[in-house]
Amino acid sequence: MAGRYDAVVIGGGHNGLTSAAYLARAGLRVVVLERRHVLGGAAVTEEVFPGFRFSVASYVVSLLRPEIIRDLQLPRHGLEILPLDGTFTPLEGDYLWRVNDHGRTMRELRRWSAPDAEAYEEYGQLMVDMARFIKPILSVVPPDPGRFAPGEWWPLLSLARDFGRLSDHQKAVFVQLMTMSAADFLDQWFETDPLKATMSASGIIGTFQGIRSPGTAYVLLHHYMGEIDGAFRAWGIPRGGTGGVSESIASAARSLGAEIRTEAPVARISVRGGRAAGVVLESGEEIEAGQVLSSVDARLTFVDLIDPSHLDAGFVDEVNRYKFRGSSGKVNLALDGLPDFTCLPGAGEHLRGAISFSPSVDYMEQAYDDAKYGRFSRRPYIDTIIPTLVDPSMAPPGKHVMSCFVQYAPYNLAEGTWDEQREAFGDAVIDTIEERAPNIRDIILHRQVLTPLDIERTFSLTEGNIFQGELSLEQLFFNRPVPGWARYRTPIENLWMCGSATHPGGGIMGAPGRIAALEVLKALKARAA
Amino acid sequence: MPSFDAVVVGAGHNGLVTAAYLARAGLKTVVLERRERVGGALELAHTVGRLAPSVVRDLRLHAHGLRLIEPPVRVFAPRPDGGSLTLWSDAARNRDEVRPWSGADAVAFYGFDRRVRALSGFVAHMQALTPPDLTDPSLRDGLGALKLARALRGLDADDVETLLRALPMAVADFVAESFESEPLRAVAAWRGVQYTAMGPWSAGTTAVLLADAANNAGGAAGQSTFARGGAGAVASVLESAARAFGAQIRTSAEVAGVTSSEGRVTGVVLAGGEEIGSSTVASGADPKRTLLDLVDPIELGPSLRWRAGNLRAPGAVAKVEMLLEGVPRFRSCDGEERLHGRILLAPEIDAIERAFDATKYGRIADPPCLEVAIPSLADDTLVAQGRHVASVLVQYAPYHLREGTWEGRRDELGDLVLRTLDDYAPGFGDLVVERRVVTPMDLERDFGLTEGHPLHLEPSLDQFFAWRPLFGHASYRLVPEGLYLCGSGAHPGGGVTGGPGANAAREIYNDWVRRSRG
Repeated sequence: MAGRYDAVVIGGGHNGLTSAAYLARAGLRVVVLERRHVLGGAAVTEEVFPGFRFSVASYVVSLLRPEIIRDLQLPRHGLEILPLDGTFTPLEGDYLWRVNDHGRTMRELRRWSAPDAEAYEEYGQLMVDMARFIKPILSVVPPDPGRFAPGEWWPLLSLARDFGRLSDHQKAVFVQLMTMSAADFLDQWFETDPLKATMSASGIIGTFQGIRSPGTAYVLLHHYMGEIDGAFRAWGIPRGGTGGVSESIASAARSLGAEIRTEAPVARISVRGGRAAGVVLESGEEIEAGQVLSSVDARLTFVDLIDPSHLDAGFVDEVNRYKFRGSSGKVNLALDGLPDFTCLPGAGEHLRGAISFSPSVDYMEQAYDDAKYGRFSRRPYIDTIIPTLVDPSMAPPGKHVMSCFVQYAPYNLAEGTWDEQREAFGDAVIDTIEERAPNIRDIILHRQVLTPLDIERTFSLTEGNIFQGELSLEQLFFNRPVPGWARYRTPIENLWMCGSATHPGGGIMGAPGRIAALEVLKALKARAA
Repeated sequence: MPSFDAVVVGAGHNGLVTAAYLARAGLKTVVLERRERVGGALELAHTVGRLAPSVVRDLRLHAHGLRLIEPPVRVFAPRPDGGSLTLWSDAARNRDEVRPWSGADAVAFYGFDRRVRALSGFVAHMQALTPPDLTDPSLRDGLGALKLARALRGLDADDVETLLRALPMAVADFVAESFESEPLRAVAAWRGVQYTAMGPWSAGTTAVLLADAANNAGGAAGQSTFARGGAGAVASVLESAARAFGAQIRTSAEVAGVTSSEGRVTGVVLAGGEEIGSSTVASGADPKRTLLDLVDPIELGPSLRWRAGNLRAPGAVAKVEMLLEGVPRFRSCDGEERLHGRILLAPEIDAIERAFDATKYGRIADPPCLEVAIPSLADDTLVAQGRHVASVLVQYAPYHLREGTWEGRRDELGDLVLRTLDDYAPGFGDLVVERRVVTPMDLERDFGLTEGHPLHLEPSLDQFFAWRPLFGHASYRLVPEGLYLCGSGAHPGGGVTGGPGANAAREIYNDWVRRSRG
């Protein structure tokens, strides 16, 4: 045994690494334990086929918190984010192409609908205002409504004050954002079908909901939060893939003194006298630590890693009731060339951003209907990027990699198993792309298909949910990851949660890891005093 | 020009309730109804068990002839394969009914019933409250919040947690937390989607279920309280109560607009040009009709007009009424007694969800979900001996059809409903002497319901409590000053509750007292 640690972090994903870095920065002796041979969890880059490197799972940086970049000096540790420009929606015989260049987007929208172009500006400004208002909630520790603790509500008070300063119109729109479906919300401004479908698609990524499901409008804000981060571009792809983010955080953590071990799967969390005392690895090795931070999801933490005798049965029921319902898959393609779209031929700039297969609101809903009854979408929503166009290092010269995020792929199939249906699922994706880019089959050198079951197996995400728990309204904020335990603490003293399972949730944001570490430090300081 | 202390637009049940309360408080009140009779869409309701007990008491509705019929059966849910599930008012009987479907569910039923009652008890407190104005909270709003907090403390900690979790939940998830058998899940979940354009997997439908169970003895099984003489008879009861308190009621008097001057209401103008003066106008019409058709757009202003235009009222319910020359025979129904309550043809969660899917694409659900009532079985005043009336709610039948018009597809809908009924009760069609199909388009044209929505506005999370109908206008006060909303488009929403009417009357009276003092 390597002696006693102040803290052990289970899982070397971007959140676990962030927690470790913050704890090490405060002078704690920390070790991170990662089950796999690579770091990063779902924010990982792997050479899946010789010469072709992929952001295997998570493929864009969404809202990596600027304070983390600053505190951990990530650019010094190799972090570099390359901008992704625009969203291209191929259609039959036409396309919708929005880019960062405002004037060009306006001209394109006007081609579709003059009122929509006009509304787009007003809508954009409103969303920026909303995002600016709501952003502080990403740094708040949720209060526990089940008990009386006024101090916990304090941080929300300033939010309430800010709310009071909004105009009545903004207040009303804010309520709509929190309660409406993405499609209904956008219906208020826009009439262009592919525009509504493509914009609302961001509301359902990773969830088991349709764009007409209430509660999906909120995610529309995320897109605008990135834009107000100032100098830093929060949306984009990291050089070297999303693993580049994890590697830079790991490097920062190491330089701050944290120890990081790969291929060190944790078998269980040791609990003595109601307190977490360390972990036992699958190899039998015991690691003692004052604090245990788990960055894996609540089901794994409390059902798989802890002996149930240490937990209250009611609490375990809550954990088991928590919904995961993975709904997405991933297809990674190694290409010999670039896809050639019938509606806009050639290797133009339109391939340099996101390519979204979301032609209409009905198309999106039909994709969801399939999933509701336990089938993968015959014609799925696909969000595609070709990282090699901005970062050629990902493939051999002249070759490309293409990342396809696919929805819906329900974890629980009505018929058959995912192991039987993996290739059929991959074919459905290729068929869908082929309808718009007929050359796709000819240029595929290799393909990797990840079903929700594969995501569960490879990345230890229960039911393949990429956010460590379904993002439905009743599972957010003070109900995340378990109702009553949203403050990163758990019923077991000295055991903490620090992953996407906790507020403010998933995406390559790092916020849960950071807030959890700060809560641990605060608790230790209080105890020492 | 005649002048009143208060004018109520529309003699639906909420309009009549508001008028009765205002007259009772001493205001000179007149109700103006476009149609030749009172009651609005009341005649389309099946059950009246949700009437707020405070309204029944305050307006002495029993003295005015309200007679309730409460059959022991709550709901009978046959299945296409011949099986069925019946829920009763008697807990022990329910346990026996559920057991063949699932032993675990028979045990869980008691807990679910208790939970629904506890949570809806809290919802009942919410319903009686004027929602706070979150744009500019006042002291009174604070007091309301304290009242709610006290009601919350009446629940145990577990229920508080469940309440916060359950309100935004999909009702399919809510019932699945307690039950494993499909028939029971479907019967319990149905009330979360009834009258809406939502399916059981839509977030927020649990709140609809809890609202349905508030203020009545329904619990998990739901209520099956009928009014003697039909739901329409409640209209004459309310009319009689309102008149007894001194309110005037004029039928065939269509309000064409609300008149105003410098931001204040001055009265209404009728379609014939007649003007009636009043500084207080309460509209029982739906909020879109009220704000977009009756109010001067200049008074409303562009922002509010935009928001009112975007209110969501996606009607998806149709109705078929039938005169039968006998009692239909449902397979798996061993006695007429089971047919005295609600009869639900929605066998599974997936069946309801699939029927709902049709609304998304502007299609009529096939097969649709049906809720049937045969009130004449327990009420011999309705129709001659040996004959029966059956009323069928049809979901989902969206107002906006992608193909054809409702005028052209009326008979198709009627035939579809009969075909579906025949699947469950062979020979049903042969009993039909007469039938009347009420499409969403008819609901709009005949009853003034925008897009045919029976609840005026969708009871979804974005049109709930402090933001029903609009954020900043949930306290029944609209624009211009002196215009109030007293119908189902206001909190606590649609259904035969009288809640919006009573709450609005309270606010109107408060303002009236304040003004006459000042």
